[in-house]
Amino acid sequence: MATHELIAAPVGLQPGAYVKVAYAGRDQAATPAADLDLQKAGQGYRIALQWACPDPVKSIEGNTDVWVDAAAVLAPAAPGAPWITMGAENLPVVGALWRADREDLYRIDAEGLGSVRREAAPEGWRATSKYERGFWTVVFELDAWPSLRKQKMIALAVWRGDAQDRGGLKSVSQGWINVEV
Amino acid sequence: MTANLTDSKVERQVGMVLDLNKCLNCQTCTIACKKLWNQDAGTDYTYWNNVETLPGTGYPKHWQDLGGRDGKGQVKPGTVPNLDTQYGRAWNFNHKQVFGREDGKKGLKVWLRPEGKSRPKWGANWDEDHGTGSYPEDNHYFYMPRLCNHCTHPACLAACPRGSIEKRSEDGIVVVNQDRCHGYRFCVEACPYKKVYFDTQRQVAAKCIFCFPRVEEGEPPACARQCPGRLRFVGFVDDREGPIWKLVHKWKVAIPLHPQYGLSPNVFYVPPMSPRKLDAQGRPTAEPRIAISYLESLFGKDVHRALATVEAEREKKKHGKPSELMDLLIAYDWNENFRIPTRSPIDERSTNGHS
Repeated sequence: MATHELIAAPVGLQPGAYVKVAYAGRDQAATPAADLDLQKAGQGYRIALQWACPDPVKSIEGNTDVWVDAAAVLAPAAPGAPWITMGAENLPVVGALWRADREDLYRIDAEGLGSVRREAAPEGWRATSKYERGFWTVVFELDAWPSLRKQKMIALAVWRGDAQDRGGLKSVSQGWINVEV
Repeated sequence: MTANLTDSKVERQVGMVLDLNKCLNCQTCTIACKKLWNQDAGTDYTYWNNVETLPGTGYPKHWQDLGGRDGKGQVKPGTVPNLDTQYGRAWNFNHKQVFGREDGKKGLKVWLRPEGKSRPKWGANWDEDHGTGSYPEDNHYFYMPRLCNHCTHPACLAACPRGSIEKRSEDGIVVVNQDRCHGYRFCVEACPYKKVYFDTQRQVAAKCIFCFPRVEEGEPPACARQCPGRLRFVGFVDDREGPIWKLVHKWKVAIPLHPQYGLSPNVFYVPPMSPRKLDAQGRPTAEPRIAISYLESLFGKDVHRALATVEAEREKKKHGKPSELMDLLIAYDWNENFRIPTRSPIDERSTNGHS
């Protein structure tokens, strides 16, 4: 496990007229660090992510003003795809999104801010999670991830529900993390 | 593709005028809307159309204090209302007990009441008919039906980082693309009228769609069509033969709610007139019961002119003189309250001589 410091995704970059003004000054990551362990597993990967979360939010059902804990791992699908904006036009990124209120992962694809598409993850993509002693541990088991194999870079994002993290309000790795796979 | 978040340019804008002098608080509009659009579990607490008693707390509770825009039209951090304390959860009633007793005695000794162990502490319309003031001197209230204003510059649209909210170019109706929505709820926060809701089951935003499938067929929204008080007018804002243009632009008696938010609503209100206050001897004074300062806090300074015009035209009518404005507001023929050209291909064919 290697610890990676996380930063608050820059609010000033967020699309739309509201978030960048209403959340101006929100420059502290709600989750300041996460531990990452990435192992080759057959043709795919086993990626364990752990972070401190004092007040977990595992479900938002039946509420209007509650946001759920979540985490994502991301890889560039093209050389030069920026991580902070989740890619750019013709520079896509691809990843897996875990939410505390769902058993199944989402696959996410994006080509820039506000462009994320969520869809059911491929059958060979699974995640297990547990919350224990103030920490979330999520293990992504991905039977294949060509983008990671090719680009050998990964980025992290963590959303802390009790901090009202959602969308671009999140803690992210400080850049692409080079990985040996 | 990066989301398009700029103000949409519309070809035409549909609008609604509500004459607050005629609202009976019968909630027929509320039910017409709810029955049509919002009976799912995740939206059971929502009222795209509601009628609140003013002065009062409104729905959601104290919505005017929940942010989104300030008095100068600038973004002000907003909050998403809480379901229990601000919206109020939908109540379940003892319908079976009242209407379906096995002994066949229905509702004779059992009153209809909310089910549950504890008594509800809050709900939509909680302070219905409370109002303010002291009887008999100046007690008063009036009713305020509210729906999405389908603003020219919608705060919800500008707030969505995903571009999930669209303003239809053909009629200016603001809709949520729920396939695109990820349920962040920035739109709920940003709307100062708090007329965007969150479907708690499907986890997407949901809001009034101005009954666009009806409007496309030349029919007014259900809330307007079902109004027994004939207080609602629907049409295109730029239609000089239509009621909206006449009331808003020609007579200038219909004005938007909270224009200071800077969003240019397309729902307008004819402000309420009120009886005079009484003095200590019970004689009418010159002062209206609804303080003009209160109405100004809702509708801005244009409320003075709007009230003065309605009063002047009412006096003309009372003295037997003609008044286009009063004839329009009286709504002798309610069909004239609505002027919406159909966009149905079938109707267009008929018009062109094809059957």
